[in-house]
Amino acid sequence: MLRSNARKFQNGLLYTLVLALTLGWLLPLLAALVTAVRTNDEILARGFWSLPQRVTLGNLAEAWSRGGLARYLPNSFIITLPALAGTLLLSSLAAYALARFRFPGDRLILYTFVAGMMLPFQILLLPVFRLVDALHLYDTYWALIIFHTAFQLGFCTFVLRNYMRTVPGEILEAARIDGCSEWGIYSRIMMPLSLPALAAIATLEFTWIFNDFLWALVLLQRDALKPVTAGLATLQGQYIMDWTVIVAGSLEAALPTVVVFILLQRYFIQGLTLGAVKG
Amino acid sequence: MKRIPLFLAIVAVLFSGLLSACAGPAPSPVVIKETVPPVIQTVQVVATPVPKTQLVYNSYAGDPEPRKADIELVNMFKQKNPNVEVTHSIVAHEDFKQAIRAYLTSSTPPDVMTWFAGNRARFFIDMGTIMDISDVWQKEGWDKTYPKGFKALSTVNGKQYFVPTSYYWWAVYYHKPTFQKYGLQPPKTWDEFLAVCETLKSKGVTPIAIGTKAPWTAAGWFDYLNMRVNGPDFHINLMLGKEKYDDPRVKKTFQYWKLLLDKGYFIDNAASYAWQEVIPFMVQGKAAMYLMGQFIMDSVPKENQKDFDFFRFPIIDPSMPIGEDAPTDGYFAAAKAPHPEQAKQFLAFLGSKDAQTYIAKTLNRVPTRTDVDPSIFAPETLKGIELIKGADYVAQFYDRDTTPEMAEKGMAAFQEFWANTNKIDSILAQLEKDRAQIFASQQ
Amino acid sequence: MARIALGRRRTGHRINLVPYLFVAVPLLMFLVWVIGPMFYSFYLSLTSWDGVSPPRFIGLRNYARLLEDPIFFTSLANNLKWLLSFITVPVALGLGLGLVLNRKLPGARLIKAAFYSPYILSLIVVGLIWGWMYHPAGGLINSTLMALGLKSLAKGWLSDARLATWCIIVAALWRQVGYVMILYLAGLQSVDPSLLDAGKVDGCNAWQQFWHIILPLLQPVTVVVVVISIIDSLRAFDLVFVMTRGGPYNSSSVMANFMYIEAFNNYKMGYGAAIATVLFLISAVFIYAYLSRMFANELEY
Repeated sequence: MLRSNARKFQNGLLYTLVLALTLGWLLPLLAALVTAVRTNDEILARGFWSLPQRVTLGNLAEAWSRGGLARYLPNSFIITLPALAGTLLLSSLAAYALARFRFPGDRLILYTFVAGMMLPFQILLLPVFRLVDALHLYDTYWALIIFHTAFQLGFCTFVLRNYMRTVPGEILEAARIDGCSEWGIYSRIMMPLSLPALAAIATLEFTWIFNDFLWALVLLQRDALKPVTAGLATLQGQYIMDWTVIVAGSLEAALPTVVVFILLQRYFIQGLTLGAVKG
Repeated sequence: MKRIPLFLAIVAVLFSGLLSACAGPAPSPVVIKETVPPVIQTVQVVATPVPKTQLVYNSYAGDPEPRKADIELVNMFKQKNPNVEVTHSIVAHEDFKQAIRAYLTSSTPPDVMTWFAGNRARFFIDMGTIMDISDVWQKEGWDKTYPKGFKALSTVNGKQYFVPTSYYWWAVYYHKPTFQKYGLQPPKTWDEFLAVCETLKSKGVTPIAIGTKAPWTAAGWFDYLNMRVNGPDFHINLMLGKEKYDDPRVKKTFQYWKLLLDKGYFIDNAASYAWQEVIPFMVQGKAAMYLMGQFIMDSVPKENQKDFDFFRFPIIDPSMPIGEDAPTDGYFAAAKAPHPEQAKQFLAFLGSKDAQTYIAKTLNRVPTRTDVDPSIFAPETLKGIELIKGADYVAQFYDRDTTPEMAEKGMAAFQEFWANTNKIDSILAQLEKDRAQIFASQQ
Repeated sequence: MARIALGRRRTGHRINLVPYLFVAVPLLMFLVWVIGPMFYSFYLSLTSWDGVSPPRFIGLRNYARLLEDPIFFTSLANNLKWLLSFITVPVALGLGLGLVLNRKLPGARLIKAAFYSPYILSLIVVGLIWGWMYHPAGGLINSTLMALGLKSLAKGWLSDARLATWCIIVAALWRQVGYVMILYLAGLQSVDPSLLDAGKVDGCNAWQQFWHIILPLLQPVTVVVVVISIIDSLRAFDLVFVMTRGGPYNSSSVMANFMYIEAFNNYKMGYGAAIATVLFLISAVFIYAYLSRMFANELEY
C-alpha cells in the first residue's frame, strides 16, 4: 500500500515536472506569438511583460508586404516542390536497384550515397558555386532545384533502399514469372508498396528543403527569387530596429512547415525513424 | 484502396510543383505609390518606337530616407530615357557590403551599383571586376565640374572607374534639449568634453550612444582619437601600412579611449545594438551624444530632427593639425555588365548636376560637383561644409582608407578592446602581426 | 533473382544491365553535384584563388597559415563546445523524455509535439526568435529578469564574448532535443515488454531495469543519435550566421562560419577550401565509424 502511494506521488511529481518543462519549452514560440502582435515602441518602452495596450496585426502585414514575404513564400514552394519530386523519383530508382539486385559495385554505390548525406556542406560550397556559375544557372531557381535534388539523393536512397528490402520477394518473383518487365515491377508493384516510406520521406524532405538557408544564400542573388529563409535574413537587415516585424515575419515564414507538420505528423515521425533506427 | 487517393494526391502535388517551376519567377507588376515604396520594382514603361533596353541597378539605400531618394532618382532617369527598363534592387546597407562580393564574381553581375570611394572601390578595381568609365568622364566633361581631388579618388593607373556623387561629414551629434536641460554647451576641448560627460553621467544620462553590432562605428572613434592625438599624417600612414600598430603613439590613442570606456561614458552592451537602434535612446533623453556621419539624420524621426545638432570632435592636442572624416559615396559599373551602354548612360545621369542637386536637397549630403547651386543647401549642410573647410586634412574613414582585409582585423580588434580595455598590449601586438602579414603580401 | 540475359560471355556469366540502368541517372547526379565537388574542394585547398582570376597552386601553404590563425583555433574550440553539448544534453534529455512519455499519460501526444515542434522550424526562424529573446533591451530574457527584479543578471548575451557561443548552443539544443526524443521513443516502442516483466519478476527495481535492460537494448539508437549529433554539431552554420555572424570579434565563430567568411567575404577561396577540408577530415572519422558499423550490420543479414 505504502509502496503504491509513494509511486503515485513520484509519478505525480514527475508528471508535474514534465508539464513545467513542456511549458518552458513552448515559451519561446508563445512569446514570439505575443511579440508579433504588439508594437515595437511599446515593448522597448515598457518591457515584454507589460500589459499590451495595443494589439495589432500590422507587423504581420508589414512583413508580408514591404518585408517581402509575399514574394519569398511562393519562391520557397517553387524551389521545394520540384526538388522534392526529382529526388523522390531518382532515389526510388537507385533504391530499387540497390535493394533488389546484387551487382558489382552495389556496396560501393550504397556507401557513396550514405557518406554523401553526412558530408559537411561546406566542402561542397565553392565547387558547386563554380559549377552553377559555369552552367549559367547562377541566380536561377534551377540552381537550387537541381542541387537539392542531387544532394538529398543520399538520404532518400538510403532510406528507400532499406524499406524496399522488406518487401517480400515472392510478390516480385510472381510478377516476373508473369512476364512483367523490370520497369513494370518497379512502377506497378514496388512503388505502390513503398508509398508509406515515400510519404514519410516526402514530408521530411519537404521540411528540410523548404528550410534550407545556406544554399539559397550562396546560389541566389536577386531578391525576387529568394526563398523565405534567405528572405528572412534580408528582412532582418531591413527592419533592424523593429524586432516585432522580424518576429512576425519569422512566424509567417514558418507557417507552411507547421501546417505540413500538423497534417502529416505521423509521416514526419516515420520519416525520422526510418532514416535513423534500423528495425 | 486507401492507397490510391494518397498516391494521386502526392503525384498531383509534385506535378503542380513541376509546372510552377517551368513558369519561372512570378512577374510582379507593382504599382508604385508615393507613400509605400516596395523593395523591388520592375516597371514597364509605355511603348515608344525605340526598342526597349535593360538596366540592372543594385543599391544599398536600405534605410527609409535614402530608399525614397533612390527610387526617385531612378524615376528621374526613366523620364529622361523612357526606352530603358530598369530592374532596381535595394538591399539593406550592411547586407549589401556582403552581397556585392557575390555580385561581382558571378558571370551575370548587375550593371550599376552603389559603392564607397577609396580603398573599398580600389579593392574591386584591382581585381578587374569594375568597368573602365574614362570615356564617360571625358564625354560628360567632368574634368571641369569635378574638383581634382575627387577625380583622383576615382582614378587607378590613369583610368577612371568611379563616379563620386556625394560626401558627408562626421561629427559628434547631440540632443539639444538634453544639453539645454543640464545647461551644457557643445565642448571644444577634450577637458570640456570630459566635463560634459561627467555631468551627464551624474544626472543618469548615458553620455555617449553607440551601436557596435556592425563594428565600423567603433572605427569612427579610433579615427578621431588617433587623428586628434597623433595628427592626420601619422593616421594616414598607419592606414597605408607604413606605421605599426604596436607603435607607442597608437597605444596612446587607446589610452584616451580606455579612459572613456572605464569611466562608463559609453552605453552599456553597445555590441548588442545595430547603430540605428540607439537613436531612440537619444530621442527619449536617455543618451546624449553620438559620433556619427551626417546620415544619422536619415534615421532620426522627422519630428525629432530639429532637436539634433552637431559639433566638431573636441581638440585634444592643439598643436596637431585637424583631421576630419568626410567619406565619399558614388557608383560604379561591373566590368562584365550585361548592358554596358545603359550602364554608362545611367552613370552619366547619376553624376549630372540634376541628380546631385536632388540628393543634396533631399538627403542633405554635400554634392561633389562644383556647379551645384549652394542656395539650395540647408543650414545644416552649410555648417557641415564649414566644418570640413576648417580641417587641415580630410580622410575617407577607417575602412575606406586602409585595405578591406586590414579593416576587418582592425575593427574586430576594436570590438575586442571595447570589451577588454585591459588587453591593449596583446590586442595591438596581434593587430601588428596582422598588419605585417597583410601589407607584406601586397608588395 | 531473374535476370534479363543480354548476351553471354565466353565464361558463361550473364551481365545484368538492369540495376545499372536504374542507378545510372541518380548516381551520375550525385557524383556531379556531391562527390565530384568534394574532391574539387580538396584541390582548391592547395591553391590561392580569389574567385575571379584562375587558381594558383601553392601546395600546403593554406594549411600552414591555418595553424597560425587564431580564429581557426577559436572556431575549433567552439565546435568542440557544440559537439560536447550535442552529445550530452539532447541524449540525456531526449532519452529521459522518451522514457517518461512512453507511457500512457494524459496529453502525451501534445507534450511530445511541443518538444519536437522546434525541429520543423527552419534554423533562420529559430535564430531570429532566439535573437530577439536575447536582445538586451526588450528581449524576453532580460525583460523577464528585470520584471523579477533580477536586473544584475541581465547581460548582453549575444554581445558578450564569453556567453555568445553558449547562447547560440542553447537555441540549437532547444531544437535538437525533440528530434532525439522521437528517435528514442521509436526505439523504446520496439523494446519487448516481456523482457521488462522478466526483470520485474527477478526483483529488479526501476533503476536496475533501466540500466541493465532498457539502456543496452537502446544501444543501436544511441549510436545513431551520437553519430548524427556529432555530424550536425560540426556542420553548424545557420544559427551562428543569423545570430552573431561569428562575433563579437570572432568569439562565436565555428568552422563553417569561418570558412564562409574567408571564402565569400575575403575572397580567400583556397583558404576557405582548406578550412572546409579540415572540417571534412574531422567529420570523416565519424562517417567512417558509421559506415563500418553499417557494414557489420549488413553482414548479419
